[in-house]
Amino acid sequence: MPPDDGHGRRDYDVVVVGGGVVGCAIAWRLSFTTARVALVEAAHDVGEGASKGNTGIATSGADCAPGTLEADLVTRSSPRWEELCASLDTPWRRIGTLAVAMSAQEERGLQHLREQAVRNGCRSELLSGSEARALEPLVSPRALAAVHIPDDGIVDSLRLVIGYAELAARNGVDVLTGAPVTGFDRDGGRIAGVRTARGRLAARFVVNAAGIEAGRISALAGGDEFEMWPRQGQYLLLDRELGGRFAKIVGGVPTELTRGIYCVPTTNGSLLLGPTAVDSSYPGEKAVDSDTLDAVFAAAQRLVPAVRRDQAIKLFAANRPASDPVYRVGPDSRVGNLVHAAGIRSTGVSSSPATADLVHSLLADAGAPVEAEDASAQTALAPLPRLLGHPDPERLLHLDPRYGQVVCACEQVTAAEIAAACAMRVPPRSLDALRKRTRAAGGRCQGTVCLAGVSFLLSLHMGMQPWEIPVGEPEATLGVAS
Amino acid sequence: MTVAIVGAGITGLACAAELAPGERVEVFDRIPVAGGVHGWRAPETVALHRAVLRAGVAMRLGATAVRWDGEALLAVGPGGVQRLPAAALVVATGARPLTRAELGIAGGRPAGVVPAPVACHLAENGLLVGRRPCVVGGGDWAARACHELLAAGAEAVTLLAPDGPSRPLPGGVRVVEGVTPAAVEGGPRVTALLAGDERIACDAVVLAHGLAPLRNVDGAVWEGPGVVYAGSLADPATVAGAREAGARAAAEVRGLLGTEAAA
Ligand SMILES: Cc1cc2nc3c(=O)[nH]c(=O)nc-3n(C[C@H](O)[C@H](O)[C@H](O)COP(=O)(O)OP(=O)(O)OC[C@H]3O[C@@H](n4cnc5c(N)ncnc54)[C@H](O)[C@@H]3O)c2cc1C
Repeated sequence: MPPDDGHGRRDYDVVVVGGGVVGCAIAWRLSFTTARVALVEAAHDVGEGASKGNTGIATSGADCAPGTLEADLVTRSSPRWEELCASLDTPWRRIGTLAVAMSAQEERGLQHLREQAVRNGCRSELLSGSEARALEPLVSPRALAAVHIPDDGIVDSLRLVIGYAELAARNGVDVLTGAPVTGFDRDGGRIAGVRTARGRLAARFVVNAAGIEAGRISALAGGDEFEMWPRQGQYLLLDRELGGRFAKIVGGVPTELTRGIYCVPTTNGSLLLGPTAVDSSYPGEKAVDSDTLDAVFAAAQRLVPAVRRDQAIKLFAANRPASDPVYRVGPDSRVGNLVHAAGIRSTGVSSSPATADLVHSLLADAGAPVEAEDASAQTALAPLPRLLGHPDPERLLHLDPRYGQVVCACEQVTAAEIAAACAMRVPPRSLDALRKRTRAAGGRCQGTVCLAGVSFLLSLHMGMQPWEIPVGEPEATLGVAS
Repeated sequence: MTVAIVGAGITGLACAAELAPGERVEVFDRIPVAGGVHGWRAPETVALHRAVLRAGVAMRLGATAVRWDGEALLAVGPGGVQRLPAAALVVATGARPLTRAELGIAGGRPAGVVPAPVACHLAENGLLVGRRPCVVGGGDWAARACHELLAAGAEAVTLLAPDGPSRPLPGGVRVVEGVTPAAVEGGPRVTALLAGDERIACDAVVLAHGLAPLRNVDGAVWEGPGVVYAGSLADPATVAGAREAGARAAAEVRGLLGTEAAA
């Protein structure tokens, strides 16, 4: 962090507001340049907004509206996933999607999806019901037809956000969490500084990647007026023992309104059922309700009869940052040194590398000093080995005997992995943040067995009393003072 | 033939005791002592532990069993990695109360919604998950959580017992019966549990309702080749019930191996 100039200010070439997948990807891209960059995030960790609760599909773009910026950025990103995820120590697999039609009407919808895929330059093939079942035997025998989109992938989007932020931090980006932006200092038609709860930052350029709060940030900066609202998605997360049997993402047929309900195997083997897509007016609303979950489950079971409600290990919701139009990525029309990366509603994970490149070039166009590449920047994070599924556990224990201490038995998270997470440049500051990095307490018993042990370990690393350990935000502590 | 048993509680030990005369048996437990929830110093644990050792059972205590591939068990512990080729795997890893998802409790994700084993474990270390907690459940875990929370300094405990309490409760616990938990309210910390027409104000919800098998060996979480599940979900759990479950599993293993009980 550049030293403060004696007036409580620090100087940056670019300040990125918002540490979701979009802001972190931008910080990552800028970290390969010689520009001095800060990322400011309101929450206690990166990736606590929309980026925390998405489906983790890295779509190849078949279902994007052709000719849009969204389709362009998603299709540009798609070929990059193998290399990107390897460099960010992020689990990823290109397993492909089956969009399954269960009725004649849905079968017509498949035609539309096929045409769209062709126009977007995405590979796809039309299959009969039995051909679809040959690719994924879990698909309902009543499936009439399907479109197979082989280049879609699944990504651990929590780890992706953390990977972007961690590599950025190692390359010198100051990642300031718990630092909500409260205002801007203006100088004529430009922003001169960013006021945060953790101090003021002098900024030559500002990127607005504040997700659902992007409209408010723009207003605070005196920039363009636009409205953002939450579009909620609810999920059931099912056990690894079933999810591990899936070979494909299985979805319904997308309509004008929604991509529909999916059964999505996750990179850690569990299975997501969802999400719904309902506009609401409460940005903080992350509650699930049983009627909606019943509907999600029924829709999923129609596609895959083998899903069982009693395999649910977690119920949760998240909000997409919706706006009209979507993908408001570009310079502000009033404030010369403000670039928006907002309204990235439904595909922000899938488009993140190309969005970051676009914002980088927009900043360069606006005159930001982001063109010189930094030769000393690291291009990849060293992968952190994990016990779960590891082919050679003996070698792990040889590396670090703490691999022999399994703390979370369901996800097989060891004391070595927890210690490594705590030693990150963007370290976990809550149980949730630790789960995002390691999966500790994120398995089928949801911490019933291990959460006390996990909190004791985290409290040692954080130098706090165990009851003070936050579950999420700092005031949401595990315990109360007795 | 070799039989791997995961879980050195009364069930796993009883199963080992039945099988040891005829088979080669190894018992794994992630905790460095035997006895499981019954405790390592309990007389029944001590007697069974001695008996299985005398019968030649190998005790692998402090080793977490992580993977079963149908032919061998992989276990890791501070002492190293063990791979045990085995003809059968007995899963005797005990039970736990139902999770929030299993109970279908809707609402947001405020802090303070805690599984009973965690609340008890923390309370034993003097850490309180809430001053006015609401415990959900009626059996063993619920009664234990009420005791532990009060002992750790909780001011008022409400018990929401969907099927009524089946165990004696400490004095002063307010009991709400006959309604099931539906949703939590509040944030950042929970402020209420909704159940039927009741709105129970609380600063923690302690999940102690129902029992599910605690299974976490990959490849043996459900039925799998060579896998035998040993356990009882009876509430209250008894030593006799656990012994019976162990003996039943031993008979099942013999069926699987096609061997006779040794006289
Ligand atoms: C249910 C659901 C399913 C989805 N499925 C997929 C999918 O399968 N594939 C896919 O590609 N995409 C998916 N998405 C979309 C994807 O999650 C979003 O497009 C993406 O997360 C948006 O990223 P973001 O960084 O713009 O927003 P966010 O992740 O919300 O990040 C914005 C950040 O800004 C911070 N912030 C706000 N105000 C301030 C302030 N004043 N100061 C500092 N920081 C501030 C917030 O705390 C937040 O961390 C899904 C989304 C949802 C909700």
